[in-house]
Amino acid sequence: MSDVSRRELFRLGATGSGALVLGMVLPGCAAPRGREPSTAGAWAPNAWLEIAPDRGVVFTLDRVEMGQGTVTGITTLVAEDLDVAPENIEVVFAPVGDAYINPQYGLQVTGGSSSVRISWDRVREAGARVRAVLLASAAEVFQKPVDSLTTNDGYVLHPDGIQRLAYGELLGLAARQTMPEEVTLRRPEDYRYIGRQNQRLDARAKVTGQARFGIDVELDGMRYAVVARPPVIGARLVSFDDAKVRQLPGVIDVLAIERGVAVVAESYWQALTARDELAIEWDESDAVKVTRDSVFRQYRQAADDSAGDTERSEGNAARALAETDNVLEAEYEAPFLAHATMEPQNATAMVTANGLEVWAPTQGPDMARIAAARTSGYSPESITIHTTFLGGGFGRRLTQEYVEEVAAIASQRGEPVKLVWSREDDIQHDVFRPAMLHRFRGALSNGRISAWDHQVTGPLIFDWFARNAAPAQYPWAPQMVYSTLASMGRMTEDTFLTPKDRSAIEGAVDVPYTVPDLWVRHTHSDAGVPVSYWRSVGHSHNGFAVETFMDELAHRAGEDPVQFRLRHLADSPRHQAVLERAAEAAGWGDPLPEGRARGVALHRSFGTYVAQVVEASITDGAIRVQRVTCAADCGQMVNPDIVRMQLEGGILFGLTAALYGDVDWDDDGRLKQSNFHNYTLMRHDETPELNIVLMDNAEAPQGVGEPGTPPAIPALGNALFGVTGKRQRRTPFRADSGDA
Amino acid sequence: MTITIRVNDTEQSVAAPGDTPLLWVLRDWLGLKGTKFGCGIGQCGACTVHIDGEAKRSCITPVSKVAGGDAAVTTIEGLADGDDLHPVQEAWVEHNVPQCGYCQSGQIMSAVALLNQETNPDDERINEFMSGNLCRCGTYPRIHAAIRSVADGGGS
Repeated sequence: MSDVSRRELFRLGATGSGALVLGMVLPGCAAPRGREPSTAGAWAPNAWLEIAPDRGVVFTLDRVEMGQGTVTGITTLVAEDLDVAPENIEVVFAPVGDAYINPQYGLQVTGGSSSVRISWDRVREAGARVRAVLLASAAEVFQKPVDSLTTNDGYVLHPDGIQRLAYGELLGLAARQTMPEEVTLRRPEDYRYIGRQNQRLDARAKVTGQARFGIDVELDGMRYAVVARPPVIGARLVSFDDAKVRQLPGVIDVLAIERGVAVVAESYWQALTARDELAIEWDESDAVKVTRDSVFRQYRQAADDSAGDTERSEGNAARALAETDNVLEAEYEAPFLAHATMEPQNATAMVTANGLEVWAPTQGPDMARIAAARTSGYSPESITIHTTFLGGGFGRRLTQEYVEEVAAIASQRGEPVKLVWSREDDIQHDVFRPAMLHRFRGALSNGRISAWDHQVTGPLIFDWFARNAAPAQYPWAPQMVYSTLASMGRMTEDTFLTPKDRSAIEGAVDVPYTVPDLWVRHTHSDAGVPVSYWRSVGHSHNGFAVETFMDELAHRAGEDPVQFRLRHLADSPRHQAVLERAAEAAGWGDPLPEGRARGVALHRSFGTYVAQVVEASITDGAIRVQRVTCAADCGQMVNPDIVRMQLEGGILFGLTAALYGDVDWDDDGRLKQSNFHNYTLMRHDETPELNIVLMDNAEAPQGVGEPGTPPAIPALGNALFGVTGKRQRRTPFRADSGDA
Repeated sequence: MTITIRVNDTEQSVAAPGDTPLLWVLRDWLGLKGTKFGCGIGQCGACTVHIDGEAKRSCITPVSKVAGGDAAVTTIEGLADGDDLHPVQEAWVEHNVPQCGYCQSGQIMSAVALLNQETNPDDERINEFMSGNLCRCGTYPRIHAAIRSVADGGGS
């Protein structure tokens, strides 16, 4: 297939003049200072921008779009300082390239609610530099001083107010200019798009069915694959009998891959139904057979046996607790959780004359490239990763097994193959939010917390994540050393070579409350269940545990939970402000109908301060959430309505975990949950009224994709305590139980 | 075996086994990728299409059920009139409903079916009708507001 036809094929979204077009067009090698343009006559001054006379501005977006709004938000940043309206910019998804690495992780990762934060300077500066060069070029044409010229939506304006030059008319001159080292970014009072853009650029493509997700990739002569994977974690393939399957209509091939047995057929439906007829023998001798209960038994034992690593210590909490009688102890359980993105995991791959091309809805294209290299034998430089729209991410698509699988199948078959996981595959072979155990001891003195000991017990996610993440940082390394690099990555965790894995302790070590004797520790215990990042990561369980325990302490102190928190926040004005704002907006303290109560929680994550008040009841034996009031301070906002959307979505994600989220196995190690009938998500009719209050300030922009999730869980649990007088110390919450 | 089906006012012949769910015929035989696969068991509504105007889950509808050309299948691609969006699609854009967008074809097809049945459904009716469509991004409040705006005559 020629580049032109491929480009036509994979152009995404609505077409027509002025409409947004999202394409998977390769913008060429991503050098930080200029690169070869993808079309003749175009000018590609940096890794993000290309301007063509007939095509206008093409922006290479280096953070994937999974709903969180990068297509709109990051495009708005470049629009502001290039001075082109966001809707007049064509957006393409970035290939793998050094310029696109997320500096927060050293990997080309979209995650950690970091996209706006890391793009704020570098993408705006990229736009500003190009605008400066276009202005200098126009100054030569007009024979006027640069300072006398202005720009407006893709044009440089002559001081006479009549003449103007389109950016596209200046490319020849611009390409000969030197990029300025220093540029001035547009001042906040002059913003045209930042803080004002409220529509989503991808909305039209997503309401017409035109947005192209990974599962929508279509190649000439493409086959469909499904994989039969181990029924128990860690079981190994011994043998399989495919005689019957090969007789079934449409079946082309059955082949063994590292993870199991792949069935390749002419259609997905034929592949899926044929898989049921496979007779496979698995060796379960090394299988991990756990249950929720057995995992927490293991954690309790570990917590008893080891005090763990001290992660934060002020004063001497152990001594202070030993010296007082007024100690409150509590233990909380947060279970394994599946991600359940609406688009199941999938990927498509094709062997070409030059190597392997892969299309994947992935949060980490560079790790996807390593995953493909690992199982196909092609070197990373001969593998091209095309990123699509993602039908939800939530951390799930940071792990790349679906790419490993499709690369193995497509390279063996030598023809284009699309691999689609069924929903059952997706839930049963997820890499879960780790189950975590939290133990607290707290002491009160004169109504104030005098000592705090928080012991977090559970695994470290990086142990599971290093597999493709570590080699992705050394793409020139041969495939035979990938496992060595992964082990080295794990062993050097928390040294200058590998950053500290904070996944178990984030949200615990940064507890904002002032306590003289404070101790936060982590006891490592891994049950052998594959785990991964899940929306808000460590904050998802630490927020629940810390904010429930705060409520228990407030109750023990006999004080109002809002006042009690405020009393411990003297040094944290932004925490105070969101808490007061949420309480005020929620009518904290106002009378409620019989049987209803409010609960509050406050949690900062990914830089953003969030306080929530949840109003709930137990009606007809079921937990009902009537209203959630949420105040958030995320600093400056690029797109206030997307901030709102992300907080709304984050809250419902948290409430879903609080009400339903649970993953468990039977005694044979088979996962009990398999599809949406038993891995339940909140539905339309259960949705509470959401009242989002955004703080207005000029602080640095922070994350918004995840911070809405952590406080929703404890705020609901604390509300239920108000209803029943019983503590919800494990999720999912139960209407009929709790601890007195 | 060749089956004739009528999709978006066009008769199509597909060589698909009769037990193939309509979803996969639409997506993989006819290239209509707007209809999505979410669960395969009629639990999430991502695959919702109209069959003779009624919302149906195409993942559990064998293509043989709509064969012969008597049944009219409408997908998300058949909703807009050229560049003119359907009022429900307009309302979706207006209310900034989509986040990841994956479930939204199904959400919109359900909403249109509801509003075709009754012009002014109340909140309870919207809740009841729309609760078969899951959204993991949490767009329900905006979906609700968008439907309300059309029901109240404010959508177009």
